[in-house]
Amino acid sequence: MDILNPMTYDAEEDRLRERTKYSQMDKHLIPMEFQQQPVSTGTTIVAVEYDGGVIIGADTRTSSGTFVMNRFTDKLTPLTDRIFCLRSGSAADTQAIAQVVQYQLDFLSAEMNEPPLVRIAANCVRRLIYQYRDDFVAGMIVAGWDKKLGGQVYSCPLGGLLVRQPVTLGGSGSTYIWGYLDNNYRPNMTKQECFDFVLKGITLAITRDGSSGGCARLAIINKDGVERVDVLGNDLPKVFDL
Amino acid sequence: MGDDIMSYNGGVALAMKGKECVAIACDKRYGVQNRTIATNFTKIFQYGDHCFVALCGLATDVQTVSERLKFRTNLYELREQRKLKPIVLYNMLTNLLYERRFGPYFVYALVAGLDPKTGETFVYDSDNIGAISDNVNLATVGTASDFIFGLGELFFKPNMNPDELFEATSQALLNGVDRDSASGWGAIVYVIEKDKITLRELKGRQD
Repeated sequence: MDILNPMTYDAEEDRLRERTKYSQMDKHLIPMEFQQQPVSTGTTIVAVEYDGGVIIGADTRTSSGTFVMNRFTDKLTPLTDRIFCLRSGSAADTQAIAQVVQYQLDFLSAEMNEPPLVRIAANCVRRLIYQYRDDFVAGMIVAGWDKKLGGQVYSCPLGGLLVRQPVTLGGSGSTYIWGYLDNNYRPNMTKQECFDFVLKGITLAITRDGSSGGCARLAIINKDGVERVDVLGNDLPKVFDL
Repeated sequence: MGDDIMSYNGGVALAMKGKECVAIACDKRYGVQNRTIATNFTKIFQYGDHCFVALCGLATDVQTVSERLKFRTNLYELREQRKLKPIVLYNMLTNLLYERRFGPYFVYALVAGLDPKTGETFVYDSDNIGAISDNVNLATVGTASDFIFGLGELFFKPNMNPDELFEATSQALLNGVDRDSASGWGAIVYVIEKDKITLRELKGRQD
């Protein structure tokens, strides 16, 4: 029983969805070139809090079915100066959410005359995902630094949940590294330990998950700003050769 | 990945001609849709001193077709008391595939070979029901075949020597698989000449 996504049935909605789906004949009528699969950031995203900030990381592959559309995507999208979101799921949906929340936070910071809190940003993201939960396919992580609570990581997965966690993973590649997280994460790690943890996790997921690949993009967010680190293919840590 | 049977396991192979030499190459990934299970699953099989077949598609059919073909070629060599020629191997393979015309194996095939006496080169490809092709300069099969075809046409020159052929084949394969999430994780390249066969293992991007 899934409490977060309870089963609901609405006959009218069901009929509406059926009508908007392609009919069987369309597969034969529409030429192959136009039958593309939606672009998704089948991906691996990792975020971890440390004392003084957060470290976030993601792989760099965007795929459409098996075709790799972009080998060096930037999935670390800034929402404000000190708050980033990590995007997984449909590329279009997550880009749209990030744009809307960017605007909302920009407006809010003008109203309040101070940078918005990370929790506020995460809630804006969560609100959109929950409101359009039947239509969006978006799993996002919001992480950043603010004056009140320091470094924070919030997870906003598919149905529209908001929960703060010290460390979290997302995307299709995350399934391969939950065990790695359970084994290797300890609370109160130093900044360098957290960085190595995130990088190793992304590398392990890239190796196993077909929808994750390319290089690793990381960012360190603290009170002094955002430091971005791109680790290219050759420089990724060595993992067991399958 | 959807429910496309030909990209369920992924994989890719390429064959190119040179001057009195042929090269055949494939990637090493074995995966189930998104997940990579192993990176030592090569898709090239040898059926004679200078006859090679590459099979790409559903992994179970790759194994079955290669084994069934081995059965037939073994019997051929026992009965005829002579070595296989590439054109004979190709015809046996296409016959095997067409026998299953209305319930086909899900593999696309490449045959590459050389006649050691005359130096004549052979590269053929086939779809999964045994359609016969001409003796071509360049052929690719697999999930990334479109990308590798483009690169292969770019790097191909007529009458390449074995080293140039190796470079062209490996660059076409390695760069083509970077655009496909269902193939890659290393590659092997056979360069077949009149007097020797060189096998090289390439370490590409492990993603």
